[in-house]
Amino acid sequence: MKANWNRRDFIKKSSAATLAALAAGAPVAGLLSGCGKGKKIAANTSADTVILLWLAGGMAHTETFDPKRYTPYENGLEGNRVLSTFKSFPTALDGIQFSDGLQSIGSVMDKGTLIRSYVAADMGHILHSRHQYHWHTCYEPPQTVAAPHIGAWIAKELGPKNQVIPAFIDIGQRMTVGESEELKAFHTAGFLGNEFGPFLIPDPSQGLESVRPPVGMDARRFERRNQLYNDLISKSAIGDLGSDYQKESLKRSMEQAYMLLNSPEAKAFDLSLEPKEVYDVYNTGRFGLGCLLARRLTEQGARFISVTTEYEPFKGFDTHENGHTRMVDMKKMVDGPIAQLVKDLDKSGHLDRTMIIVASEFSRDMMVEGRPDAKVKEQVNQPDILNDMKFYGMHRHFTDGCSILMFGGGIKKGFVYGKTADERPCKTIENPIKIDQIHQTIYHALGIPPDTNYVVEKRPFYTTPDGDGKIAKELLIKV
Amino acid sequence: MKRKNAIKKKTTRFLTTRNIGLAFLLLLIAAIINPVIGKDTEIAAGTPFWVWSFLGRLHPLVVHFPIGLLVVAWLMELLVWKRKSNDFGPAIRVLMVIGTISSVIAVVFGLLLINTEEYGGDILPVHQWTGIATMVLAAITTYTYFRKSRRMQKLLLTLTVAGVTVAGHYGASLTHGEDYLTSVLPSAQPDVAANQPTFVLANQTGPLNETQVQELNLQIRSIFAHSCTNCHGEAKQKGDLRLDSKEAILKGGEDGPVLVAGDPEKSELIRRIKLPRNHKEAMPSKGKGLTPQEIATIEYWVKQGAPWPTGELKSIFRVAALEPRMPEIPAATGDIVSPVDLFVNDYFKKHKVEWNKKVDDRTYIRRVYLDVIGLVPAADTIDAFINDTRPDKREILVSNLLSRNSDYAQHWLTFWNDALRNDYSGTGYITGGRYDITEWLYSSLRDNKPYNIFVKELISPTEKSKGFIAGIKWRGTINASQRTEMQAAQNVSQVFLGLNLKCASCHNSFVSDWKLEDAYAFANVFADSALEINRCDKPTGKMAPTRMLYKELGEIDSNAVTQDKLKQLAEYLVQPKDGRLYRTLVNRVWAQLMGRGIVEPVDVMDNEPWSQDLLDWLASDFVATGHDVKKLIYKILTSKTYQLPSVGIKEAELIVAPDYVFTGMLRRRLTAEQFTDAVSKAIQPVYGDSAIVYKLLPEDVKTDIRFPRASLVKNDPYLTALGRPNRETVSTSRLSQANLLQALELTNGDRFNNAVKRAAVKWKQEYPDAEKMVTEIYRSTLGRPPASDEESVALKVLGQTPTEAAVQDFLWAMTLHPEFQLIY
Repeated sequence: MKANWNRRDFIKKSSAATLAALAAGAPVAGLLSGCGKGKKIAANTSADTVILLWLAGGMAHTETFDPKRYTPYENGLEGNRVLSTFKSFPTALDGIQFSDGLQSIGSVMDKGTLIRSYVAADMGHILHSRHQYHWHTCYEPPQTVAAPHIGAWIAKELGPKNQVIPAFIDIGQRMTVGESEELKAFHTAGFLGNEFGPFLIPDPSQGLESVRPPVGMDARRFERRNQLYNDLISKSAIGDLGSDYQKESLKRSMEQAYMLLNSPEAKAFDLSLEPKEVYDVYNTGRFGLGCLLARRLTEQGARFISVTTEYEPFKGFDTHENGHTRMVDMKKMVDGPIAQLVKDLDKSGHLDRTMIIVASEFSRDMMVEGRPDAKVKEQVNQPDILNDMKFYGMHRHFTDGCSILMFGGGIKKGFVYGKTADERPCKTIENPIKIDQIHQTIYHALGIPPDTNYVVEKRPFYTTPDGDGKIAKELLIKV
Repeated sequence: MKRKNAIKKKTTRFLTTRNIGLAFLLLLIAAIINPVIGKDTEIAAGTPFWVWSFLGRLHPLVVHFPIGLLVVAWLMELLVWKRKSNDFGPAIRVLMVIGTISSVIAVVFGLLLINTEEYGGDILPVHQWTGIATMVLAAITTYTYFRKSRRMQKLLLTLTVAGVTVAGHYGASLTHGEDYLTSVLPSAQPDVAANQPTFVLANQTGPLNETQVQELNLQIRSIFAHSCTNCHGEAKQKGDLRLDSKEAILKGGEDGPVLVAGDPEKSELIRRIKLPRNHKEAMPSKGKGLTPQEIATIEYWVKQGAPWPTGELKSIFRVAALEPRMPEIPAATGDIVSPVDLFVNDYFKKHKVEWNKKVDDRTYIRRVYLDVIGLVPAADTIDAFINDTRPDKREILVSNLLSRNSDYAQHWLTFWNDALRNDYSGTGYITGGRYDITEWLYSSLRDNKPYNIFVKELISPTEKSKGFIAGIKWRGTINASQRTEMQAAQNVSQVFLGLNLKCASCHNSFVSDWKLEDAYAFANVFADSALEINRCDKPTGKMAPTRMLYKELGEIDSNAVTQDKLKQLAEYLVQPKDGRLYRTLVNRVWAQLMGRGIVEPVDVMDNEPWSQDLLDWLASDFVATGHDVKKLIYKILTSKTYQLPSVGIKEAELIVAPDYVFTGMLRRRLTAEQFTDAVSKAIQPVYGDSAIVYKLLPEDVKTDIRFPRASLVKNDPYLTALGRPNRETVSTSRLSQANLLQALELTNGDRFNNAVKRAAVKWKQEYPDAEKMVTEIYRSTLGRPPASDEESVALKVLGQTPTEAAVQDFLWAMTLHPEFQLIY
């Protein structure tokens, strides 16, 4: 009960902030006054925390969690014959194979659900950031109002789980890479207001920097500075200006910031406190360390964390050439940390109330750009006959069948949902699932009602378009 | 007598021994369970044990025992209130005992319920504690019925029943909603139609005249629009029935006509809306039913023959007049002479507001500096102004500031960049799907381009100003309601006409009279070839005509090439008879200077202004005096109205509350740009020269720029945290409230703290003497010397020979000071 009180308390306070926007006439508004319906967080939630592990750039399902017939490389190989460039191996689930290099994840699949039928949107000529925008906000850009990131919705509806840990933390994405403006466009709380926006930690090993006093300032000085600030205010004539929300909110925010930077929880951001052997398991680069940071923050009470392999055009999973060789490296980067995160949270008991989602904006294929029934403008020079190893890999953007993994927080264990065809085009042939269903399933587990919406410029704006998204009940242990 | 005593004894024993023990046992269990379950929800474990949930859900059932029994006991007591002997004594005792036991059970189950289910809110604790209090009261009362005097019994029983009533009321509010009772009161009818019908049902005899038909019909359409057309309208046609037009209503649904004009008894519609709410055929099938008044109105309308007025229908929404209006200026009285003040004076009289004294020179100069050029005045400038003895020094000050063309442009650039969603970086540029208009905008502001020309050049653009109507195009196929032509239609109507076309660009609007076809017809003005109407992103096969939103303004030649159509549109929009364009502009400027528009939100110009006269006069005067924005600003800033003390608001939502009364400028926070520039000027430049987007600015701009102003740099995390919007969509106002991310950015962010660090080096060198330094920093940041206790706080931290670190911390605290951060 305590938790609920805190949460409600917090929501009340924070909604005052967004109402300021309403007052200012900004495109932010209060709850839709649906016919007499009070706002009630549903009973029986199954998750308190969400971790999104974002494999940015379009991860080929046939090279990872949904392998097909393996065709080794040889000069003169006909591209159309190649469905997978890796062998596969059996996972912890009966009859379920993963692509080579994902052995660690394969070994924890008894703890989660494998979705093999995610269907991305058809938005024509493909731009990664546009599909990423869609995945994270559930809306296709451009929009007439700034759509909030799923993390911002969750931050808005539930508030932080631990008052001093920002409710929406985004780890690993630098905003200085190509398409950064498009990335910024969805790394935002949109009309919900800045307050619910992401706390950005581009480099997890520098995470502590963001939550400790400025460089060169020790704790004592930080304390003194804060004291001086409060003293100066109390001595000034500003009291004559009376109490109002701007002044109050400024004082309150400064106090919160001080609390966070001074709190024991800030240590969660310090990866150097982790035992070396654990650190080493996670240390496959920024993504792996991001998973470690996510684990530490989850243990201290984070609400929503996103960790990404980072999107940078033509890097990472955005394989326009050398797909096979690149995938070998990418798998090394993600396999250990993801599996370890699942195991660690399971061991500590947090996995019960923490939902982990592993996803990417769409998949890849060697031949098909877009989807079989709606091919779009090709962007990759992919010859029909392979005479160079660099053409061996999944280089085109494929939107009609992708894999998603989900663990914990009420998600079924050892469950497989959906299916793609075994021959090209390897598209979804069973139980297609779309982004609004994924979002609603996450919201449902957290207790956020499916018709949650705010009136922006007199129109209701729902968590999923028109509030129509359906919960994918099949994925949940208990609905 | 013996028997009576026996009963008494028996009940007493029962009460005192077993039952009280049992009650406390139950309470004890509840107390133990309470924290355990609480903890579960808090930490991790899943759902609570089902038995608790089950028992908890019995609470609403069990509560009726104490309610019924205790009230009956009280009623019995009432019957014998005046009598000495209590004939009902034994009966009341039995009732009380059972009532008390059941109230204990109810409390225990209630506690289980709140622990196993997610109840919350303000009412819950009230219900919980009144419930518990009532239980205790009941127990005490029961006790008195075996021991104490009758007076005490009556008093306590009455109290208990009062407790039951209060607790019961709050419990019902929790279950059924707070407005369960009040919502059916006539005073609580939802105010959907801003345009309230004035037709009164009562006292109506004889046939209706034309006005009455119009009013009655308006009421009917309002009821249908609120309660029926969600399912029986454009979007859905359940049962093949639509209730959104005369023809549709008369046609009926799949089972034939729904009404028989003149005969409510035979009308299916009337039968359905009058059915009990739980009947499966009751209408509306979702949500609340119609109120008795609404039903009566519809019945009356049908009885009258379901009349529909001929000619133009009155809108169910408030629609502001399009044409300009020049209200008569009230006669000058006393020292109130300017038209702005005279209109405000009228308003004050009506709302019983007294004129306050004008603010002092120090406050005034800081205000106008920030409002005209976005900068804080230097301390010397403030002193000189205070010492200036000319009677018209305030007017002179405003004139001087307005003539600082570059500073003015660099401040107002921020506002117009937000509104015209122009930015130096952003989505779309990467794929060539967007153009910036910075150079044009900067020059236009610097030259104080007349507003009519300003608008014309944006709508019928040159190469340099085409970015606004060109919109933002992402790669790939996009939603029909977001094609660039539709973006142009939406943005032009929002920014220039204070009109929301966004709903109507997908389907007929539910919140205004704008139809899907209107939106497409307007979008067609911007289109090279006629657009096919899409409803909710699905093609309808219908091509849209080409026309303006307000046909009174002129007719667009649909066969003309786009360029010519845009020229026509631009000419039509800026005509003096387009009062809406100018009202929208003067309202925006007023809102910028006063913290709140005369109409709010500023993008909904159909809303009611707090002073129609003031708004109309400002707009008409603006046109009459050459569409000159600076003149408009001058008039506002030199008015007594602007010089009133600022007003603080406790809760932000009160600003747009319907009962808002204007009493003076609302206190505001500095914008991201104002704050940054204030820091740059007061202590140390935050940005370097290299951050300025010179490439996008006019070539001769170098001489204009005295220091790197925040309006001239690309957006970054620091500015974003402080509230600079990403200019993907039109944005016409900024949040005036601080938040955690902002505070974090200011507490340990690099951009800001590095600037403060650099400043410390400079200030320490310049002022080796701590006392002098404190004075100068106070003057530089707040424009005044420190008070003596402020000085001593500062000196205590700085010491005789301040370290760089101490100076840095002092500067930091000063720039985060509310007195520095607010426009007051």
